[in-house]
Amino acid sequence: MSDREDIEIKKENQTIDEEIKEDEDEDFKDTTKITSLKSLGPFIASKENSRNTVYLSDVPDVCKDKPCMLGVDEAGRGPVLGPMVYGISYCPLDSKKALEDLGCADSKQLTEEKRDVIFNDINTKEYATSCIGWAVEIISPNTISTSMYRRSKCSLNEVSMDSAMGLIQQAIDAGVNIAEVYVDTVGPPEKYQEKLLKRFPNFKITVAKKADSTYPIVSAASICAKVTRDHALKVWKFPEGLVIKDNAFGSGYPGDPVTKRFLAEHIDLVFGFPRLVRFSWSTAENALADKAYDMEFDEPDTEKPKYAGTKLTKFFKGTTKSGEVIREESRFFKQRHLGNVMDF
Amino acid sequence: MSITLDFNGKNLAKSKSLDLHYLPAKVDGDGEANVEEYFNNYTREAAEFGTGVLTNALRGYPLMGERLKVPEGYRGLVLQETDKPLSESSDRQLRLTGVFDEFTYWNYDKVPSNGDAYRQALVMADVAQALSQPISEQDLEAEIARNKENTKESP
Repeated sequence: MSDREDIEIKKENQTIDEEIKEDEDEDFKDTTKITSLKSLGPFIASKENSRNTVYLSDVPDVCKDKPCMLGVDEAGRGPVLGPMVYGISYCPLDSKKALEDLGCADSKQLTEEKRDVIFNDINTKEYATSCIGWAVEIISPNTISTSMYRRSKCSLNEVSMDSAMGLIQQAIDAGVNIAEVYVDTVGPPEKYQEKLLKRFPNFKITVAKKADSTYPIVSAASICAKVTRDHALKVWKFPEGLVIKDNAFGSGYPGDPVTKRFLAEHIDLVFGFPRLVRFSWSTAENALADKAYDMEFDEPDTEKPKYAGTKLTKFFKGTTKSGEVIREESRFFKQRHLGNVMDF
Repeated sequence: MSITLDFNGKNLAKSKSLDLHYLPAKVDGDGEANVEEYFNNYTREAAEFGTGVLTNALRGYPLMGERLKVPEGYRGLVLQETDKPLSESSDRQLRLTGVFDEFTYWNYDKVPSNGDAYRQALVMADVAQALSQPISEQDLEAEIARNKENTKESP
């Protein structure tokens, strides 16, 4: 008996040793800071992917003194899979040269490799780190679904605007001396601009379509957002326990055949999809309507109160045709949602 | 028609304790569910809404919940019927599949409160107790005495 215990203790020690080793590895790779392209993946992987994550780079000292411009853009608005990422970047008004040297242009015109290089440069090259700062918010697909499915629905536009304003606020709180703000938008710019001006009346705010190809500072923000989104998908670990080779679930756009196949093949009858999927997208809804169990939620808030006073005919309603008296259920039970159950 | 509940004190004590969720949705299906991976993994405490409040989501719908105990003096049982007879008059037999003393109650995007139908319905436990409790002669006499007193006080 003591032998067996010995073995068990040994086993335990072994697993403890292994755990320590893993911990050491983790310590070696500092996951709390993004200092290069390489450290982006481990940082994202160390966060819970069902929640939002915000990351702010260090604020270069010049950005606290000199008036700065700040660009805002997003990545991954349309896809049915993965997070949407909001990004900001900022630099002093007279540091345009650094942005040009980095090669910041319309992020959608750049290849993935080129974006990765620029992102790495922003974080490693002295000429960039000394004057350019950035921040991103990873809005998890779980948050997107639950926001859009709230009792008082919160549209993706609201989620987006809140995120953008939150990031700008965090930059202010971190000490960035903001003078001008440039925002890329897909929707109508006027309304957005008005809302931003109300919140930040002291800044010169420009909201424009395709701002990421017009203003280099927006391009930089766009690159940070896009690179972050791509990495978030690459390092996605399914709490559901799914393992997908190379995380190959396609672009996430509903038209992509790889994404379509992923959606078709990973339906859980009860829970629908893993939470990489945005349930509130019609693509996801339609797929579930066909293949998963039907599910109906209590939505009593949508019911309108029906009250039109007591009807005169009420007095004739107490009996059935055969003359049997129908007894109305006691209000005491009715109000407490109690009733007789004969069938189950 | 008679319904047989097929269990006794012995297998009640032996049966396994179940992990139960009270969901604000009707699921039109029967069978096993990957609760651990697809649901329990995502339960989080949300102290900003009050102590013990939990959050999660079901098919993207936000849920707010809490751990609840079965009312004092009660036990939760899950009974299953292998095949339901076609005619209403035939006898039925329900088998015990598990017991529970605790479960997680979920609301759709609403902090659990006394306004919830479940909590209101729990008054049944008190009603049932009042109705089924034996009344002793002493209690009866005390009640009569109290009533007399009351009528004296309010002429």
